Amino acid sequence: MTVHEGLGNRTVLWVIAVLGLLVIYAPPLYLLAISFNPALQPGLPSLSALSLDWYMALPREKALIGALQQSFLVAFVTAVFATFLSLLAALGYIELRLGRTTWFLAVLLPMFVPGVVQGLALSAVFTRIGVKASMITVISGHLLWAMPFAFIVILTSFAAVRQNVLLAAADLGAGRWRQFVDITLPLIRPGLVSAFIFSFLLSLNEFTRAFYLAGRQNTLPVVLFSKMNSGASPVIYAMSGAIFITSVLTVVALAMYNLVREKRMN
Amino acid sequence: MAIAIDIQSVSRTYGPIKALDGIDLSIKAGEFFTLLGSSGCGKSTLLKLIGGFDRPSEGRILFDGRDVIDVPANKRPVNTVFQSLALFPHMTVAENVGYGLKLRGVSGPSLKAKVEDALDLVELPGFGPRTIGMMSGGQRQRVALARALVMEPGILLLDEPLTGLDERLRQQMRDEFGRLHRRTGATFILVTHNQDEALSLSDRMAIMHKGRIEQLGVPAQFFECPANSFVARFVGIETLLKPERIEMRDDGPHAIVAGQSLRLRSPEASLGADGLVAIRPDRLRISENIDIADLVLTVVETTFRGLQTDVRLTFADGQSLVAVVSSDSPTATVNPGTQVPLSLLPDAAMLLSGSGMPPVA
Repeated sequence: MTVHEGLGNRTVLWVIAVLGLLVIYAPPLYLLAISFNPALQPGLPSLSALSLDWYMALPREKALIGALQQSFLVAFVTAVFATFLSLLAALGYIELRLGRTTWFLAVLLPMFVPGVVQGLALSAVFTRIGVKASMITVISGHLLWAMPFAFIVILTSFAAVRQNVLLAAADLGAGRWRQFVDITLPLIRPGLVSAFIFSFLLSLNEFTRAFYLAGRQNTLPVVLFSKMNSGASPVIYAMSGAIFITSVLTVVALAMYNLVREKRMN
Repeated sequence: MAIAIDIQSVSRTYGPIKALDGIDLSIKAGEFFTLLGSSGCGKSTLLKLIGGFDRPSEGRILFDGRDVIDVPANKRPVNTVFQSLALFPHMTVAENVGYGLKLRGVSGPSLKAKVEDALDLVELPGFGPRTIGMMSGGQRQRVALARALVMEPGILLLDEPLTGLDERLRQQMRDEFGRLHRRTGATFILVTHNQDEALSLSDRMAIMHKGRIEQLGVPAQFFECPANSFVARFVGIETLLKPERIEMRDDGPHAIVAGQSLRLRSPEASLGADGLVAIRPDRLRISENIDIADLVLTVVETTFRGLQTDVRLTFADGQSLVAVVSSDSPTATVNPGTQVPLSLLPDAAMLLSGSGMPPVA
């Protein structure tokens, strides 16, 4: 870029950016700080009294660990199904001529149903037909929640698949299946990966539907919520802190990976 | 092996629009054939039908006498260089070129060797490992060409393959097509709106307009006897005059334009009132002597074009024509308003039917 903003403009832009980031990151950072405070009452620790006590106590909290495992399992299965089903839905959308919009809205609709309503409705229906609350009911609820997002992400990635590229593949002897495997799939791969990550996170963080639909083993957000309300020990801050740190490390790792790959491409 | 194509009464309609209207066309095996026309004339539709990307609404298409209407694109002995090139962006150059062979089951060293041969053929040796993003426009063009040629197709379709290249690259790729055609011996079908490409490359060509073939033949015929004023204009005969009347004289038919008489090439004297007189610019001479001149016209303007200069001349009724003179001749610098004598070489003026005439711009 050869265009330079004036110094004044640049300062304003920096201030806005920093303020925005502060608003986003201050609350979780505050929580992170609390998690290093050995006192029972939540509050900012003094620098001399930083401690990992609550983190050491984490592995002994069977309820939290169980909930965490459950959440990861639910999120993983949800992400796999959401990605696969959304791919099929997107392929359907691409093939459709008439009725495209109807199909689009039909797949998207669950996104607009409030979680409380959907959780309650699903719970009522499951009870009615005699399905007991279990991991499967949570996953089905989360699937409804995550699929519209995964669908949009995958559909967007289909912009990379130009019709004439598929024609060229046909010209060179590829039938529909080979066109799909050799051309379409590699071109929409970024969309599939994003859809998977998106669905995974949406499920991992989901509270309302899981609240209604979980069986004996609750998911982590539900457990954290109930623990917070019952005034439990500050291990929940350590748990939040651990999740936050893991997320940050993951993002940093991804950024580094992309940086290295871009360097290699050039 | 080159394949002959027979197109029999083929029509293609899209709703109320007739993109192709009863096309009959035979293309010989090994021929370089060009479909020339402006956009929307149906030439690309015809190419799609030959490639198998679309089905005709009516009629038959035969390859070496065998009906191929029900053969899908991926099973036809045809390969295409697409206008958009349609290279696979996620594959390297070598993967692009080798894709079709791989589908045929070619693998290992023989795949590698064939891909390298194809890249040599289009003068891109050693470019195999590069990504498509690293290639320039002209290089991509060659990759697309190599990808089609490596399949050793019986028919190669070229869909406006030179559009979007700069003039120097166009020239270079044009020569390349001629060379590759001689080398591979396949039937080449080129679709273009550029008459220079068509005239310089084709064994035979067809000019299309509104879903029909206006004229079919070897390139020189389009100048010698254009079928109508549309064809004449398309191949670069710009001067089309509206005559007052046609007269039969002892030495043949004459067209009268603004009181002056132009001797017509004989056979086409009976075309009726909507005929137009086409004048081949290469058969028009500025003469020295006003007494033996066929026409005397007034200079409107001269336009310097390097080695040559265009002199626009007008009749008394305002109709005009362009004579091309050498830039070092005295006429090249003549003042507007000057009267200039012109002589017509034999067959300079022809009477053409005005049918298919596009609105004058």
